[in-house]
Amino acid sequence: MDNFFIERSKQTPEIKFDAESGVLEIMGRSIPENTFDFFNPVLSWLDEYSKNPASKTVVKVNLEYFNTSSSKYILEILKRVKNIMNDGYDVLVEWYYEEDDEEMMETGEDYEDVSGLPFTLISVEED
Amino acid sequence: MMDNHIILSFKGEITSEIITMVLQIMETRLEAEEAKSSVKKKVFNVLVECMQNLYHHAEAELPGQEMTRKAMLEMYFLDGYYNIVTGNFIKNENVEMLKARLDKVNSLSKDELRQFYREILDNNQISSKGGANLGMIDMARKSGEKLEYHFTKVNDDTSFFDFKVRIGAKKKKAMEMA
Repeated sequence: MDNFFIERSKQTPEIKFDAESGVLEIMGRSIPENTFDFFNPVLSWLDEYSKNPASKTVVKVNLEYFNTSSSKYILEILKRVKNIMNDGYDVLVEWYYEEDDEEMMETGEDYEDVSGLPFTLISVEED
Repeated sequence: MMDNHIILSFKGEITSEIITMVLQIMETRLEAEEAKSSVKKKVFNVLVECMQNLYHHAEAELPGQEMTRKAMLEMYFLDGYYNIVTGNFIKNENVEMLKARLDKVNSLSKDELRQFYREILDNNQISSKGGANLGMIDMARKSGEKLEYHFTKVNDDTSFFDFKVRIGAKKKKAMEMA
């Protein structure tokens, strides 16, 4: 299937999903007012991908900011990945946060708890 | 000690274009602030939530004036705290629900808020306006203080909703010291 790419903007993240390698990256910030318009195509792509996923799927979440209406959609993405795991495939979530951003680290823990997926929390140095 | 100062004052209709513009300006202004970057990040996050609340929920003062959904937004630094203040009209019929939600959030401890956040994240449906009912919980977590609010009845249809979130510029070390 085709890969999926959305360039980042001031209010929306870069989305880079590679169907062959199974690496799904979300990078930047996600603060749009109308989250449905932005995330709906992302979820549709994942629904297709779930039918025939790579042997290992790695979701890399590297967000500087996201608003609460994006947070539901991030969980929706992870729920689809959970289904892939339940189908017997390897999955991993890599959750990146800037080293002094305790909030984003805690949010990663929240998602780990709620999604029930294997998580790695990765601290990165600030630019 | 940082001096007290006004950072932003806005009154008008909150459109998508205005949000983009204000956030862009505020990003530059916050960069110039002396506070730690983790504090600035919280301030920016709360500002985003506040503006999006105004965008989705501000009502006209009188019925039939839907074209003029004016709202106000202010930010100032006072005595060690960033204060983000919003004001908007809401329908009287929504006051009770909003008040109940704010009181519930204000009644919870830090750990309880986190638990509540996880519950709502997991269970709640996304509302028609895109809100996930997480906004107030998220702001309370970022603030670490009680959310301040006041409703003033304006007429038979609307009330005015004052709302304030405070974010301390100094990170609290109380827990680590205890």
